[in-house]
Amino acid sequence: MRDARERAALSAIVIACVMFVVVAFAQSAGSSVWDGVFTDEQVKRGAVSYQQECSNCHGAALEGGDMTPPLVGGGFTSNWNDLTVGDLFDRIRLTMPLDSPGKLSRQQNADVIAFILKTNAWPSGTTDLPPESGALKQIKIETARR
Amino acid sequence: MWRPMQRPALVVTALGTLWLSVGTSGQSTPASSTSNGEWPHYTGDLRGTKYSPLDQINASNFNKLEIAWRFKTDSLGTRPEYKLEGTPLMVSGVLYATGGTRRAVVALDAQSGELLWVHRYPEGPRGANAPRQLSGRGLAYWSDGRGDNRVLYVTPGYRLIALNAKTGLPIKSFGKDGVLDLKAGVVFGSGQQIDLETGEIGLHSTPTVVKDTIIVGSSMKEGMTITTHNNTKGLVRAFDVRTGKLQWTFNTIPRPGEVGNDTWLNGSWAVNGNAGVWTQITVDEELGLVYLPVESPSSDYYGGKRPGNNLFGESLVCVDLKTGQRKWHFQLVHHPIWDHDISSAPLLLDVTIDGKPRKLVAQPTKQTFLYVFDRVTGEPVWPIVETKVPPGDVPGEWYSPTQPIPSKPPAYGRPGLRIPDELIDFTPDMRAQAVENMKRYKWGGDYPYSGTLYNPPIVGDVKGLLGALNLGNASGGTNWPGAGADPETGIVYAQANMSAFTPESVAPPPAGFSDIPYQAGVVGQPFRLRVAAGTGTYADVNQAQRAAVEEATSPAAPAGAQPARAYNAVEGLSMVKPPYGVMSAIDLRRGELKWQVPHGDTPDIVRNHAKLKGINIPKTGQGGSVGVLVTKTLVIAGDPLVTTTPNHPRGAMMRAYNKETGEEVGAVWMPAQVSGSPMTYRIGGRQFIVIAVSGGNYSGEYIAFALPASDLRDTGGGGTQQ
Repeated sequence: MRDARERAALSAIVIACVMFVVVAFAQSAGSSVWDGVFTDEQVKRGAVSYQQECSNCHGAALEGGDMTPPLVGGGFTSNWNDLTVGDLFDRIRLTMPLDSPGKLSRQQNADVIAFILKTNAWPSGTTDLPPESGALKQIKIETARR
Repeated sequence: MWRPMQRPALVVTALGTLWLSVGTSGQSTPASSTSNGEWPHYTGDLRGTKYSPLDQINASNFNKLEIAWRFKTDSLGTRPEYKLEGTPLMVSGVLYATGGTRRAVVALDAQSGELLWVHRYPEGPRGANAPRQLSGRGLAYWSDGRGDNRVLYVTPGYRLIALNAKTGLPIKSFGKDGVLDLKAGVVFGSGQQIDLETGEIGLHSTPTVVKDTIIVGSSMKEGMTITTHNNTKGLVRAFDVRTGKLQWTFNTIPRPGEVGNDTWLNGSWAVNGNAGVWTQITVDEELGLVYLPVESPSSDYYGGKRPGNNLFGESLVCVDLKTGQRKWHFQLVHHPIWDHDISSAPLLLDVTIDGKPRKLVAQPTKQTFLYVFDRVTGEPVWPIVETKVPPGDVPGEWYSPTQPIPSKPPAYGRPGLRIPDELIDFTPDMRAQAVENMKRYKWGGDYPYSGTLYNPPIVGDVKGLLGALNLGNASGGTNWPGAGADPETGIVYAQANMSAFTPESVAPPPAGFSDIPYQAGVVGQPFRLRVAAGTGTYADVNQAQRAAVEEATSPAAPAGAQPARAYNAVEGLSMVKPPYGVMSAIDLRRGELKWQVPHGDTPDIVRNHAKLKGINIPKTGQGGSVGVLVTKTLVIAGDPLVTTTPNHPRGAMMRAYNKETGEEVGAVWMPAQVSGSPMTYRIGGRQFIVIAVSGGNYSGEYIAFALPASDLRDTGGGGTQQ
């Protein structure tokens, strides 16, 4: 019995070590929306752009509409969970606003995303979201904090 | 009118082998049908059933399905489409579908997915003005049985185009060079022709072909925020499928002397529009009867300019196939002010009830009531009871004191809400927050008829009540993808959205915007123009037009604007208890629910929610509206949402249920949520299922699933049946 317990304990330690390495590797490859990847100042700028360019379809509270996906809550995370902020950035950059794609600058798009992330209760931090797809693709959108 | 630049680009590949199966000139071929493995109509047959008797794909092998081919629609327009809603047709080995922001038509080899031809019809500003843009739901097929084979579809700019099914070239003898201008003859007011370029009308459902007649409905702009109640009048027309000659017109807003005109008090028929038929039309070919599901008159949430019950708004109307004359009608919602519409194909079924064979028409709805009638007489099969509903108090509005509620079968979803019992209760705190949030909405009375069903809109105010709570209206229950049925058993299969929480509020629009004093909105919030999906995305909208549209429709943004708080959610979760979406079987032999199960994986936000760790939450299903496919033994439907679960990577599942029990018997992974209803066919001894997926970050794609060829060889399934 004792041997069995020791083996179990040893196995648990090995598994824990492996998990640690895996998690550490994953983190080194990028960050997530839980890591404070935007600033409150950026959220303020994004809120203005959002209300000007996005709220008509997606709603003042980002709740979406009969024909428009919500940008908050389960409807939003269903579309974007496990993708990256860069994916969202490119989708907005290439196709939004629907009737005038490309109207917003890269900086404005990044600001709008900061506003969306904040509204979804992800934490702000000390650096702005950069207006670059490549960098934003290192930031994962996750409903659960890893 | 065919300038060289506007000719359809053709991709014609080696078709010789393929055409061996296509009827040749002078020889009569059997009519296309699901019974010989084809899918010749949007809903499989003319009766709206979405049923195919194929059974090669069944419970024993559904999990073995693999992708046989896929077709991405990105290049069918100037930019990708993220809302591909089409269901293809399959006739004689060729698959026909619409796709892209141009609403192009493609013909694909049904076995390999190889592109055979593509047709495009650039419409310029007329397409850019279309009230219903994007690629639409599909098309129609017609054959004379002797080699004249055609596909027909409606462009975003409301033209009916007939194409040679073999080449994709317009049929010169149809309309003018293959094109019929459907805007000609469309009116507003008391009969004024709409402008052919800018006039408001379109259609995103498919035309319906029966015998040598093609029937076409009508769709206007989203009716929640419109500039006038006196907009285009809805109509349904039938044309000769060979020439395009008009056969008959049915006015959904009856003119003086026509039945129903007196339900528009004070002559208001003359100054109101809409009441289109924007969804699928079904036909009983033997009886020669056509069933029209009519939508709301203008406007969706305010009807003060149209006192009266407003026939045939939100009515099921039966007309004669040859003449278009009304045979009977039943108004499902009197004086519509909830945007219930009638949103999907009526189902035609022959069922024995209490020992008597009956010819039925069953109408699924957003309310999740299934209204069942004798389709010859229009008599309800089970009593539909006029039930008192609560009055409203919006200035100038006219209210119907009652609404008709079916006594049988029971609702197959959630038409109303028991409060607080059906509010979220994962944790006591969440329930408490939901109860608190409910203080911002008007609701009350006994479930369901005077509580949250037919709860009339109020003038909402950010400083007070935000709206009147409704559950089974705008996007609840069964929407455009519709239900399906097994014609052999009389059982209807329907998916229903159970979590569409809709506070209905009206407010005065900005000065000068409209002649309607109240429109969707909340006093104290910026006015929001509600437009149909894809508005502004038509391929020929240029940057200047887009800027003009933007200028005209964008509300002024207050400096330092902050988000309005959403009261219809708790911690990002739906205010209502699961299930969020269900699949149901409704047995019309008894008027009973046979089974009901949650449809769709539990959404990520529920499974991963920080405040729900350690709480065991049974499968919730998903909100949203998806179509079904019914085969010999299965009911098949895709997930409306994308999830990442321990059982599958990020994606959505296409699921198969045992028709008898509702047990899930298989599921295959798709890269995105389903956005069009699935269809099936058989060719080369192999059954295929084709489904449209798109949404979020995934642009439109048709994906064909089939069993591995190796499995079919093992079971001797690779026969020579068509």
